[in-house]
Order: sequence, then structure tokens, then C-alpha cells
Amino acid sequence: MAALPRRIIKETQRLMQEPVPGISAVPSDTNARYFHVIVTGPEDSPFEGGLFKLELFLPEDYPMSAPKVRFITKIYHPNIDRLGRICLDILKDKWSPALQIRTVLLSIQALLSAPNPDDPLANDVAELWKVNESEAIRNAKEWTRRYAMDN
Amino acid sequence: MSAAVDERVTDEIEALEAILMDDVVIKRVGEMPDIIETVVHPSTGDDIDQQFVCVTLEVKLTPEYPDSSPLVTLRNPRGLDDKLLSTINSQIKEKLSDCLGQPVVFELIELIRENLTESNLPSGQCVICLYGFTEGDVFIKTQCYHHFHSHCLANHLIAGRRYYQEELEKIPLWQQVSAPPYQQTCPVCRCPVSCDVDTLKKAPPPMDSITAPPFCLTAELKDLQRKMAALLAQQVAKGGVVGVGDTGPPPLTITTPADNEIQEEATNGSPGASQEVKVEAIVERQNGNGSNGNSTPGSPNSRPVYRGPYSLVRTYLVAPPSHLGLVIIMILDERRLLLDIGLLKVLHKDWCPHSSARDPQPGRRTTLWLAYPQGGLELSSHN
Repeated sequence: MAALPRRIIKETQRLMQEPVPGISAVPSDTNARYFHVIVTGPEDSPFEGGLFKLELFLPEDYPMSAPKVRFITKIYHPNIDRLGRICLDILKDKWSPALQIRTVLLSIQALLSAPNPDDPLANDVAELWKVNESEAIRNAKEWTRRYAMDN
Repeated sequence: MSAAVDERVTDEIEALEAILMDDVVIKRVGEMPDIIETVVHPSTGDDIDQQFVCVTLEVKLTPEYPDSSPLVTLRNPRGLDDKLLSTINSQIKEKLSDCLGQPVVFELIELIRENLTESNLPSGQCVICLYGFTEGDVFIKTQCYHHFHSHCLANHLIAGRRYYQEELEKIPLWQQVSAPPYQQTCPVCRCPVSCDVDTLKKAPPPMDSITAPPFCLTAELKDLQRKMAALLAQQVAKGGVVGVGDTGPPPLTITTPADNEIQEEATNGSPGASQEVKVEAIVERQNGNGSNGNSTPGSPNSRPVYRGPYSLVRTYLVAPPSHLGLVIIMILDERRLLLDIGLLKVLHKDWCPHSSARDPQPGRRTTLWLAYPQGGLELSSHN
């Protein structure tokens, strides 16, 4: 197996030394390219108070190609589908090697604050978000309480 | 109406325009000069190629200027790190209080230029490898004043080109014709750049990356890993994990009897299989490169797929449906496997998975038995 690129080591160290508030990312013991991630739901969003588990994998040619990220905790969000896949441009064509694990996770956290039902991945959720936003937000809060809260 | 412009200010602006010409922008509100803006470079004679840093100086004049200090902002710093910027900023503050009562813009430009000339090497890091620029490194400045090790930028441009090509091939031919041509972009600001990749890629990798210490798991990391695992287990138990208790196709699917008959014909050759369904699967940890071609041999097509953390290499259904399935798993991560077993229990509470090995070892083949009610068990790969 090829040695772990120094950049990944550096990012990992920095994530530990200067953690991003509301985000933690820890490499797996057996695969330093695989990260266990927790993103806390942003304040003043329907996801507030939730602890969302994600998995993040750095592919072979990272940072030349984007990390693969998905939600493990269920979440009611128009840009995240039932399988936890995330619709976010920087994970696809807008990826740049100047982005890092921390910036990717911050963008995902920002996506929780600003759902975009016009570019949906979860069609039914997006539909409700457009037609009846207050009900959609109620659902999102309910899912957060049921699946992502500590108690 | 408008107050007359202070003569000291008029003189200063005239001088600025005469000396800097197009390099200075004066924004006016009516007759009154309001903002003076210029990009400051280090002094390198006329050799623009040797200017590795720059910053935009913005001076907003107050109505009382020069008898009160103008508001000074540094914008769009290139190749300067926060430390140097704050040094310059505090020098600017001093200069402003020293020069109260007289025009100060030239003094400011000079002060900034001196600082830039002194550190006319990009400080901060190459954002691609996250290492600094040291003696012996081969690096490049883009047209937008961003710096990269040539080696790193070459890798980015090669990958960018490949991504463009892959995406292009996905769209129909008639659309390919009208697709915009490939354009190299700066990783930092996405401005178009034009670089000769062949020259860049001959450069050696950054020096610091060669001498960096290796990675090791700290006690802190291990502690965090434990917390993560505990949280996940808790969410699994509550059914809060993707794929658990879903109304759609579950992540792990029991096939219909008809499917199993087909499988039965295909695998008739195994005698004495009795009432057991044997599913042998050698799975490996999902590596994210879903591109390997050997993803689903031997499994029926177009079925809701197993979306767990392992991707499947081979599946065999070697006996008619019954009550016992056998999955052989290549364990790469013990904790993950145990969580998966937990997940299976939650998913189908009649299933009773247990491992044949008391202490599964990473990388060792381990047999996992699954007792389940009816039908075959199908696993197929990610993507």
C-alpha cells in the first residue's frame, strides 16, 4: 500500500489541534483515509441540537479529486437523499484542491442552514419544502429529535 | 454647495495620478475625492516575473483629511500570511498618527512596498500540498498572484483535464460539440490560468513533504474514535441510521423465491447442501473507488443493493432457500463489522447473525452465519 500522502497527515493533525467548532472528524484505526465525522446541527436551523454522523473517504488521488462524503444519520433535507448522499457542487464539478476536509464539512454544515429545494436530491422532501415550508421544517425538526439527539 | 477641496489633497492626488498613472484609481463623490486605491508590489525593478506578492491598498479619505486620519484597508493580499499582514497594519497605524496634518498616501505606499520587498517570497503554504515554500522548491506564480509548487499545480491541472474529459464523455455527442472547451483554473480563485503542464510536471515534489514525520494515532484520536463508535451504536439502536427501518428498498434485501429457483438451477452442482442457503461473500471495506469492474458477478441484476460499508467482491448462492445463510467476510475493521451485525439485528430481528471467530482479526477471513426466516440473501455491491 502506498504511503499516506503528507497532506492527509497534516490535515488530520490540524483537525485535532485546531478543531472546527461543531465538527469533529476522526480517522479510522485501520484506514487513515476513512474518517468518522460528526456535524452538529447549526443554530437557528431545524437541525439544531442534532448530532449527525457522516462518513468521509479520501480517494486515492485526493486532493486532486473530491472526498466522498455521506450522511449516516437519517436527516430530512431536500439536498440529502434517503441513502445519505449529498448534493453539493464542491463535491463534484466545483471541487478544488484548495478545499480541505474542514472546508468540505463546513460547507455541509452550511447546507444544513440553507436548504436549497430548487436543486433537490430528495425529490419528495424538496417538493414539500417548496409547497409547505413550515410542515417541511416541522418534519426536519422531528427527524432531528428522533434520530440525531443524544437522549 | 460642496466644500472646497483642501489644496493639500488636490496636490497629493495630482501627484499620485502623475506618478502611478493607470495604477491608481481615484473614486469621487461629486467633486470630492473619496477613495484612493492602488495595488502595491515589491520593488524588483521592472521584472514583473520576480514579484511574488502584492496587496491592494484602499484609502478612504475623511472630510477633514489630512487633519484627521483616513481609513486604510488592505485587500486581496497575495502571497502574504496573516502575521505579515498584521505587522504591516500596525505599522500603518503608527504612520497615520505620525503624519496627522499632512498627506500620507505616498508614505503608506512606500511603507507597504518596503515590507513586500523584504518578504518577496510567498509566505503561507501551497494550498495543494499544505507545505510551505522553502529553499530549493520549484514554484510558480499564476496570473492571479497565487502560488503553488509546480509539481502540485501540474497534478491539479492533469486531474482537472481528466475530470473534464470524463464528464464530457457522459453527455450525448451532439452536445459534446457545443460544450465549452477545457479551461485551466486557479485552485484558489477559479480564475482562468494558462500553464504548460509538461514543464510544470518535471519539477520535483516540495522539499518539506519529503521530510515530514509519519502519521500515528494519538491517545486523543483513539479516545475520539471510541466516542464516535458509541454515538453510532446509540443511533443504530434508535433506528436513526440511513437504511434502517426505511419504507423503500432496504439496504439488505431478501430475494423472492422465484429468484432463488433461478439461482438453484445455476448452482445445482452442489450435493448435500440440504436445507441450507449458503451465501458466500468475500467483501472488502468500501474503498470509495466504486470503479472496479468486478462488482457484482454472480448476483441477479437490478436489485435494491446493500449499501453498507463493505463492497462486495463475490457472491455465491449455492443451495435452495432455507433458514440459514452463510456469509464469509473479509474483516478489515472489527468494530465496523460488529456494528454491521448490530445493524442486521435491527433490520431484521429474526436474523441471528453470529461470527464463527471469537476474535476476528483485521484482514482475516471470518465466517459470519446468518439465520433468517425465508428466501435467499442477496448482497450486491456499492454503486
